[in-house]
Amino acid sequence: MTKKKDFPKEKRPIRLGPFSPQDHLVITTLGLEFAVAVALGVGGGFWIDTRFSSAPWGMVSGVFCGFALGMYILIKESRRLSQEEKNKEQK
Amino acid sequence: MDVSHTIAHHILDHDFGVMLGGFHLPVTAHTLTMLGISIVLLAVAMLLSMKGKSLFARLMNTIGEEYVSFMRDGIVIPGIGKEGVAFLPYFCTLFLFILFSNLAGLIPQMKTITSNISVTGGLALCSGGLIVYAGIQAHGFWGFIKSFVPGGTPWWLIPLMFPLEVISLLIRVCVLAIRLFANMLSGHMVLLSLLLIIFIIGQMSKIAGVGAAFPAMGLEIFMTFLELLVAFLQAYVFTLLTSIYVGLVVHSH
Repeated sequence: MTKKKDFPKEKRPIRLGPFSPQDHLVITTLGLEFAVAVALGVGGGFWIDTRFSSAPWGMVSGVFCGFALGMYILIKESRRLSQEEKNKEQK
Repeated sequence: MDVSHTIAHHILDHDFGVMLGGFHLPVTAHTLTMLGISIVLLAVAMLLSMKGKSLFARLMNTIGEEYVSFMRDGIVIPGIGKEGVAFLPYFCTLFLFILFSNLAGLIPQMKTITSNISVTGGLALCSGGLIVYAGIQAHGFWGFIKSFVPGGTPWWLIPLMFPLEVISLLIRVCVLAIRLFANMLSGHMVLLSLLLIIFIIGQMSKIAGVGAAFPAMGLEIFMTFLELLVAFLQAYVFTLLTSIYVGLVVHSH
């Protein structure tokens, strides 16, 4: 069976994991965090529309902002998990 | 038969309208259940810590020690590290409270308080407060504020990154509440719906209603055992995620 060490460093296949049980739990949370981020954006946009009578632009902006926030959270957590993986490999 | 009314009656909170000197006291079915669970928890804590050399006292002490060891070695230390042992009483209480609340909902005629967003929101706020407190204790107040900005961020990005990171923390706290609330609410709605199928079909034909009772009860028994598993799982997930979030804040650079 080919192992990761059989490949030169620059050609190693991308490997996901192994993740600790805590990492697994954080990964399962990411979907809901994304959804809540979008929901918060929608809620904030709805509030702006109600306050400033700017329908539907407040909610449209809120959706985009919530989506961006959700993506930021996803990418940040992925980087943190992959950084922890690199730290474990270096040890 | 109004199915939605029946489900709402069994799941939603009911205010008993208790007034005291012009003030409307929040005496509802869920608050009374919460009070009852707290009294049961106090009794359990007193039992587990009882002194004496009798077999029962030693058994209770052993169970208590095993539980605290499980919380310390399985949840607190893996999530936070040795510094987290100071917060062990909070995690022990949190896990037991959520577990007892979830299990109480499976007893007939009892309410599931964790299917109320106010209760899960309150629990999440307590966990959020612990996250902030642990961060301030580990890094100092300004160190905690600075930890919101990732290292290496250009100065002109800080006004954007800081609010994003604060909102991320708020979202984590919200997700803790919503996960527990949604799991408990949906589980109990499914349990109720499976029973109501018998009555809905029985309205069309009594014989069909009796026939529908058998598969419905079979599914009901299966779902009840699943809800039992979910009760333990959600208590564990809530507690473990709290410890992971505290660990992230304590060990942030």
